[in-house]
Amino acid sequence: MKEAAEHDTVLDTGAEQLGKTYARALIGAAQSAGIADKIIDQLGVVVDQYIAGSPQLRAAFASPRLDENEKVRVIDRIFGEEFDPLLVKFLKVMAGRGRLAHVNAVRSAADAIHDEMLGRLVATVQTAVPLDDALRAKIEEQIGSIMQKQVRLSESVDPDLIGGMVIRVGDRVFDSSVSNRLDTMARRTRSGFSSQLLHRFGEFTSE
Amino acid sequence: MKFSSDEIASVLQQEIEQFDSKIDVREVGTVLEVGDGIARVYGLSGVMAGEMVEFPNGAIGLAFNLEENSVGVIILGDYLTIEEGNEVKALGTLLSVPSGDAVVGRVLDPLGNPLDGKGPVQTDTTRPVEIIATGVAERQPVTEPMQTGIKAIDAMTPIGRGQRELVIGDRKTGKTAIGIDTIINQKGKGVKCFYVAIGQKDSSVAGIIDALERYGAMEYTTVVVAGASTPAPLQYVAPYAGTAMAEHFMFNGGHALVVYDDLSKQATAYRQMSLLMRRPPGREAYPGDVFYCHSRLLERSAKLSEALGGGSITSLPIIETLEGEVSAYIPTNVISITDGQIYLQPDLFFAGIRPAMNAGISVSRVGGAAQVKAMKKVAGGLRLDLAAFRALEAFAQLGTDLDAATQSQLDRGYRMVELLKQPQYQPMSVTDQVLSLYAGTRGFIDDVPVKAVQQWEIDFQQFARDKYSDLITLLNEEQDLTDEVVEKIEACIAEFKSGYKPVESEM
Repeated sequence: MKEAAEHDTVLDTGAEQLGKTYARALIGAAQSAGIADKIIDQLGVVVDQYIAGSPQLRAAFASPRLDENEKVRVIDRIFGEEFDPLLVKFLKVMAGRGRLAHVNAVRSAADAIHDEMLGRLVATVQTAVPLDDALRAKIEEQIGSIMQKQVRLSESVDPDLIGGMVIRVGDRVFDSSVSNRLDTMARRTRSGFSSQLLHRFGEFTSE
Repeated sequence: MKFSSDEIASVLQQEIEQFDSKIDVREVGTVLEVGDGIARVYGLSGVMAGEMVEFPNGAIGLAFNLEENSVGVIILGDYLTIEEGNEVKALGTLLSVPSGDAVVGRVLDPLGNPLDGKGPVQTDTTRPVEIIATGVAERQPVTEPMQTGIKAIDAMTPIGRGQRELVIGDRKTGKTAIGIDTIINQKGKGVKCFYVAIGQKDSSVAGIIDALERYGAMEYTTVVVAGASTPAPLQYVAPYAGTAMAEHFMFNGGHALVVYDDLSKQATAYRQMSLLMRRPPGREAYPGDVFYCHSRLLERSAKLSEALGGGSITSLPIIETLEGEVSAYIPTNVISITDGQIYLQPDLFFAGIRPAMNAGISVSRVGGAAQVKAMKKVAGGLRLDLAAFRALEAFAQLGTDLDAATQSQLDRGYRMVELLKQPQYQPMSVTDQVLSLYAGTRGFIDDVPVKAVQQWEIDFQQFARDKYSDLITLLNEEQDLTDEVVEKIEACIAEFKSGYKPVESEM
């Protein structure tokens, strides 16, 4: 349920900063070669499939005990043929600077920067029941027209909401869920009632 | 008594019908780490400094540090059930506390939640905890006296309404007693009192509340408690919360007295928070803005101009020193902020001189403007005389022979010191003080043995009340030493002395 709320890469704000810097460099290089989309996709594959799938590889990347040459050899062997030379070179540069442990951070920063450059924005949508295509299209269109941007939805289902939906864009949450409305109503009624109680206590009681 | 459920149900129905459900738009963040009353939150990119945020467990936080990638939040409440990954919601408002008549007579925590088991504070009025103090144009000079009921203070370091007078001294020198006596003395004077206990033992706070109740002072007093076991952020906001409650009365033309007991503990709490937030430590590891922390608090005590109703907040901040070290960081800061200080010394305290005020270095920068005329006349040179007496006393200990004039000055001094002693919880009205001090400063008790002075004073007061009640009423009306008053006082003293044999108390 809380998938959308978790930021797995930002626990270390230093790494986030670093990721942003490297990502900007990578995207800059990729754009001048005209292959930005491809590079971003491939970086995603590196992170999601290779690094996430192999703890040994992750450990090797993060380890300070393997020296630079060793890491470069590993990169060549694993990624050398399948991936674009630019990405491989980038990974080698990161290896040379001892930053290979932060590939994850670079990936999420690169995604964000790329989205921003294309005028795209990610909206997380939480609903009580899964969205159907018609609704999805409607939400995308609505948010897109308000924000003047192309919208990419990331969906999750949370039955606790009872109904309605919670849309999150950046740090802003638009909450029209039934559970939240019930909570607010309860709170308002409680405070409203206690202030009524304060002003007209006599009417509520009789001797 | 019977509750009419129909009426209640109809009100509830009304409330529900009036509820219009707009989409709730909020700014959120995610807890990265939490501990010791602070949390670091990712997100909340639009939050402003000092803005309230809410955690899922209902605890309120304040945005304290705005950093590039995260926001440092101080948690005013239970931080033990907050977890990493929790969603934090910005509330878009500043912290405020309940105010008005509903808080009077209550014991509250710094957020206005009741601690006295008397149910929630029933009020619709709230005031923001942090406001910028009133400016120059909104104020007027301090001239109206704020009687503490303590002879030594009212005579030598008078406090006016709107003044900030620091009470400073080592532990166990009677600092709190001065605050409590002052509160007790405000009975029937229309001054609302606020006692802000910061970082103190809950047992001693309970003792103070008990004393206030016994002397009927809780009727007009609010106690704001952030005890030693409450998290540092609550201790930090407690004085601001107390001041906010007092401001309600000031801005409505009333008068308030706030006792901050004590600000050194608040500074310590602020230091803890700042260090946990990784703000750079400065002198004594306090953050650089600890001066501002106290100055913006004490600036809020003011005497408002007549256009604004002429209300006032008088504050008595208390600072505890270590081994009499007034040149430590926090004491010097607060001394420089306040309009004078009452310095309490352990050696005087243990010599039985209570209140243990050192007359030489205690000052009030408002001075005689905040005294009634009668008091100004009787107490005029008292402070300097006492200081001269202290110097002379040290000299006399050398055992040299003294001429008659010096000896008489010494004798007067011993008796004045004796006369200025005053037991706890027995504040005196200003007329009583004038009578006693008149007798003392004009030499009417020079022939009373030193050890008998205190008893003499008690009996004299009783005599004046019994036989010369017209004098007391007259003095109360005039508040000045007119010829008629002087004549009557002297007659009173003469008559009393003619029929009184001093009894030496056993000390």
